[in-house]
Amino acid sequence: MSDLDRAIAQLRACRLIPEAQVRELCYKARELLIEEGNVVCVDAPVTICGDIHGQFHDLMELFRVGGDVPDTNYLFMGDFVDRGFYSLESFLLLLCLKVRYPDRITLIRGNHESRQITTVYGFYDECIRKYGSANVWRYCCEVFDYLALGALVLGASAELEPSGPFYNDTTQSTMSTTDDGELETEVLNSKGDVTMSTYRPRQRSSLDNGAPSPTRDPATLRTGAPGTGASSSGAGSYSSSRTGAVLCVHGGLSPLIDTVDKIRLIDRKQEVPHEGAMCDLLWSDPDEIDGWGLSPRGAGFLFGADIVKQFNYKNDLSLIARAHQLVMEGYKEMFDGGIVTVWSAPNYCYRCGNVAAILELGEDASNGGMVTRSNGDIGRSNGILTGTADKAPLRSPGRRYRVFEAAAQDTRGMPAKKPVADYFL
Amino acid sequence: MSAPQIPNLNTLRRGAGRGRLRGRGGPGSTSRGHKDRVVQGTDNDASVSRLSAVGLGYLEDPFARILTPLGQETRRLPIINRGTYVRTTAIDQLVARFLGLPSDPDSVWKQKKKQIISLGAGSDTRVFRLLQSHPAPNIVYHEIDFAVNNAAKIKTIRGTHLLQRVLGHLEDVTISDAGDALHSPIYHIHPIDLRTLAHQAEGSTSEDLVARLRETVDTTLPTLILSECCLVYLSPDEAAGVVRYFTQTLFTPSNKSETLALVLYEPIRPDDAFGRTMVANLATRGIQLQTLHEYASLEAQRVRLRQQGFDGGQAAADVDFLWERWVSEEEKERVAGLEMLDEMEEWKLLAQHYCVAWGWREGCAQFDGWGDLEKQSSEG
Repeated sequence: MSDLDRAIAQLRACRLIPEAQVRELCYKARELLIEEGNVVCVDAPVTICGDIHGQFHDLMELFRVGGDVPDTNYLFMGDFVDRGFYSLESFLLLLCLKVRYPDRITLIRGNHESRQITTVYGFYDECIRKYGSANVWRYCCEVFDYLALGALVLGASAELEPSGPFYNDTTQSTMSTTDDGELETEVLNSKGDVTMSTYRPRQRSSLDNGAPSPTRDPATLRTGAPGTGASSSGAGSYSSSRTGAVLCVHGGLSPLIDTVDKIRLIDRKQEVPHEGAMCDLLWSDPDEIDGWGLSPRGAGFLFGADIVKQFNYKNDLSLIARAHQLVMEGYKEMFDGGIVTVWSAPNYCYRCGNVAAILELGEDASNGGMVTRSNGDIGRSNGILTGTADKAPLRSPGRRYRVFEAAAQDTRGMPAKKPVADYFL
Repeated sequence: MSAPQIPNLNTLRRGAGRGRLRGRGGPGSTSRGHKDRVVQGTDNDASVSRLSAVGLGYLEDPFARILTPLGQETRRLPIINRGTYVRTTAIDQLVARFLGLPSDPDSVWKQKKKQIISLGAGSDTRVFRLLQSHPAPNIVYHEIDFAVNNAAKIKTIRGTHLLQRVLGHLEDVTISDAGDALHSPIYHIHPIDLRTLAHQAEGSTSEDLVARLRETVDTTLPTLILSECCLVYLSPDEAAGVVRYFTQTLFTPSNKSETLALVLYEPIRPDDAFGRTMVANLATRGIQLQTLHEYASLEAQRVRLRQQGFDGGQAAADVDFLWERWVSEEEKERVAGLEMLDEMEEWKLLAQHYCVAWGWREGCAQFDGWGDLEKQSSEG
């Protein structure tokens, strides 16, 4: 067993590794991250995760629900530290996994991966308390400066392979019926059993409209042989198309960034600035407004559906996945499915009572020969501006959300401080 | 693709949890004395939060440090500091309008002597802040709390020149032998378990301490009763009984006494995910918010005030509303600049689970100082 594997085993048990080893780990991680671009390209299948915030036991729960590394390919969208009591254990474990399996885990930067924010929200204090000095905090902050700002998921399948019994999806009433994505939500109870699974298949024809079938139809879910462009259902009206890429970023968009390429031009190796494109990517939020608005957070901006549609269209994206905002249901799709918030810290701060979610995107196994309908099959508005017939429509990727609850706070074999949430008494 | 080799922490909890609870729950842990100590301890939470907010510039309060036990100073999270700020300034505003604002054209009301009775005041600094303000208001201030909380406060007053100076002439101040009661012409600290007041209303004879309260409270003055997260710890019957003691026994409605008003600050909305978690988390500390389900919404608080004798008017607003509507834009900007508050969603959640409710009974003197305050009409 290598030192790294030993460190992973130790951290998995929620036990810290020695300071010298942290220094070495951070050095190796930096060497690795410096080679990554500002926008990392990740191939599907991938499991996309939102904020963790030092909730170590819930991170273990996440791995149990989503599969272990390296079996599952993970993409974490930042905010590993602060707020929870185990920021060190959580971040160092993720960093170890990154160094050990660099192609199976992607870490991008959140607004809490910053010197200034960690001194207010707990990570700095935790480092001092657990290591007796600020050294480890400094090593970690140096790693933060090298984390990528975003990721682009390529080759996600439009189709979902559903599992389990299905019910009509009534949980996401905000989603427009014109949205053509396949969507599955699995809710796991505290024993890890799937208690509810909803599946909404792609609306293939007018016959299906308004009446998504709760039963599985294997023929329409299988794709054809690689490279053939044919589907096993043999439906001649379907022609090849592609799913757009999925941009993953912690916060959202910036008025200074209209193309993904512009993100690539940022000099990211620095503390998160108070303003500018890099700050916006980590701080902004989508909102039900037109255009851009001021953020109540005091950093970043609010951006509306029109901004998302334009950005997705211009950049051949079918979806923006982001984190940053607490969502009581674990995930929330907005703007006709053009953007989704994924939140992976259940019972946030041991106080909020929310569930968490991770987003699984499947692999397009058909090598580009995807089953899809032809352009004019049904009217679609998602991501498509009127009067622009020069681009083939992009298909939304099939999205499986796994929703899970908080792990126990005091678990056998793992040290756990009983969290005391503050209230106004 | 779940990972079966990773142990399911929740299944472990189910098994272990029951055993632990059985092992721990001796008869002592549920006794009344233990519960009382837990409630008394919540006073510490409040003073530590107040000091944190003062230390960061949210509030100005020269007495916060003095009245917080040494070594307890902690920097609270930004959302807690903001909540402490909103709670404090909202009640300050209600109190100021009750006393009569300097700008108030109604000089008759303004010049009347007033009385404030603070329930479960503990280490609260409001009395000192009011008495040292300029021009000093013409008031009598009563605090009622457990003897043990009073003793700590009175000990601090004895040892602190700054607090004594606010109280005026020392020869006018008397302190009980036990050090848990204080009386002066403008400030009284009564060592009374509020539950005894609830039972007074049922017609039992007054004990000495309650008799002293009856003697010192001037029922001819316009009076404001404050309950800052206090009545919520009593059973619904006891909480209603305490209010009844004031509205029926002490300030009888028949003798046309002056205006009587009540300001409540309490948690609400226990039935959503955040509320359920709050109830569960506080329960692990042994804290039971006994009236929370009884008065679970703004409407329920208004109905409560109306039914318990405050028929002149009732209103309520949650802390989120108070922040948005009662705090001026300029002040919001100042407060927002004190600390980076990143957690907007969490702030809204938290702030929507606390409310201030206020109601008044019309007396001889017309009281309309609260008339133009913005109230929250619907359950937002």
